[in-house]
Amino acid sequence: MSNHSQPTIGSAIRKKTEWDRKIFVAACIFPALLFLGLFMYYPIVETFRLSFMKSSGLGPEIFVGLDNYTRLFKDPEFLAGLKNVFAWAFWSIIIQIPLAFYIAFSLTFYVNRFTKPLRIIYYLANVLPSAITAMLGKFIFSPTNGILNSLGTTLGWNWLSDLDFLGNQSLAFWSVFTIATWTYTGFPIIYLMARIEQISKDIKEAAELDGVTGWKYAFYIVLPNLTYPLTILAVLCTIGSLKLFDLPYMMTTGGPGYATVTLGITLYRHGFINWQYGKASAIGVVIFLLSLAFTIIQFSWQHKKGDGQ
Amino acid sequence: MSAFKGFSRPRYGVAEVASSTILIMFGLIIVFPLVLPFLFVFKTQLEYAYTPWSFPKSLIWKNFKEAWEAVQIGQGLKNTLGVSLGAIVCTLPPAALAGYVFARYRSKVTEFCFYAILIGYFVPIQMVLIPLFKFNIAVGLTDTLPGLFLPMAAFNIPFWTLIYRSFFQSLPKDLADAARIDGAGHGKVFSQVMLPLATPATMLAFILVFIAAWSDYFLSLIMLNSQALFTMQLRVSQFLNAYGTDRMPRYAAAAIISSAPTVILYIIGHRWIIQGTLMGAIKE
Repeated sequence: MSNHSQPTIGSAIRKKTEWDRKIFVAACIFPALLFLGLFMYYPIVETFRLSFMKSSGLGPEIFVGLDNYTRLFKDPEFLAGLKNVFAWAFWSIIIQIPLAFYIAFSLTFYVNRFTKPLRIIYYLANVLPSAITAMLGKFIFSPTNGILNSLGTTLGWNWLSDLDFLGNQSLAFWSVFTIATWTYTGFPIIYLMARIEQISKDIKEAAELDGVTGWKYAFYIVLPNLTYPLTILAVLCTIGSLKLFDLPYMMTTGGPGYATVTLGITLYRHGFINWQYGKASAIGVVIFLLSLAFTIIQFSWQHKKGDGQ
Repeated sequence: MSAFKGFSRPRYGVAEVASSTILIMFGLIIVFPLVLPFLFVFKTQLEYAYTPWSFPKSLIWKNFKEAWEAVQIGQGLKNTLGVSLGAIVCTLPPAALAGYVFARYRSKVTEFCFYAILIGYFVPIQMVLIPLFKFNIAVGLTDTLPGLFLPMAAFNIPFWTLIYRSFFQSLPKDLADAARIDGAGHGKVFSQVMLPLATPATMLAFILVFIAAWSDYFLSLIMLNSQALFTMQLRVSQFLNAYGTDRMPRYAAAAIISSAPTVILYIIGHRWIIQGTLMGAIKE
């Protein structure tokens, strides 16, 4: 290529290889961008547009400005969904994360023959299809033939057999939440386990030398080292709650009343049962903006942590 | 517990025994509900009604046969398999190609495209359901299996592009350069040298995309209307709504069949699955 007598050919070849390279790069990125363009970027823009329209899919779309949003914040179902989603996030953070920490810590603290099989078992419930998880929930909580109610009948405990786990306003939320805890806690467990295993041996040995063991070790050494993963888990719990649909929908369809309604369920009902595209799109925008806000929080923490190291 | 341990290992302390006991109890809580369907599935309706908790008297396979016919499990499995394979075929190649370019052909343009794709990882699918549904109507994809697995693939691509990108970055650079010097074109280097080296990432993507597509409920519920196209998960939940928990033995049969592939894949590939799941979370 560095032939001085024929510089034109050299540059022509270079140009050709440069073109080959550009064409290859474009051809490789194109399929991914095409998929995302059609099924993600365009729908995002369209959701924002529709959220300012009155539309039922049929007939003309009418521009109504912020009307969908103002009506949304007067809609008892949407408000119940919003409340439930944040209650769900709150209780996930209060219950699932400490439980996961306890299990992950114990499992990594005493490494014995049970450690490996237990780790596998704890994550097992997480790979089940949600339709099956919901079904198991019904096995347990159903008023007819449910395990808990029949157990009450068998033992003659009327207080138990009379409880309507899925039909009672205040119980339904907790029944669904229990099943969710059963299936979703697997992820924080394996995540925290991996993080605890990353804590260096030196720290552990130094702690042992100083006589810091057991619970003291968990609270004073491990926990301070996990503040970052724990906050990430809290954010993931919150984003997960915003998207919640399958379990409450299949176990209680959001009922009784609005007791287990989520944002996902409200969106589904407005959009695909009442055919109010505009209002459903407004809910979509709310879900998007809330997840965006929490994602930004997560990244800014990540960034701060990066600076600190 | 420690009596038969001999001298070779240190004795278990009281604290360790207590801790392990609690952990095993948690493990049993996870496993117990999964055993229930097997307790019910071999019983007749009558046997179930009177003695739901006893061990089955004999292994009756009738419930599997009845469930198979009642919810047309054969058709359901075929649809679900179609969706899962469609999702794999539409997710893996675009993600592998894009991930490769983002790892090895870095420029301002490719970095921009990378972040544009990465953003997709944070978009909740709930947000775009209405436009997706409208789009499917407009292009004639409503109530078809591609109408389900094409958007699924679009929502999978960002994550797997990220994974492929970091995988290709971790491969030694000399290999590709050597092949280039031997005169292989860009495409050939990718398909014959780099892609085979990325087999672990491809396997992982194959398994996790399969499990996710197989388990999908929400998107299937919206995109599929006709009974003939219903996936296993839709059929299972439909069955649950129609009969409640009354037809438990039959229902248990349907549940076992529809969750078997994911559970079996998990048992075989749990190490990769856990590793792959963590990759997404721990990558920073």
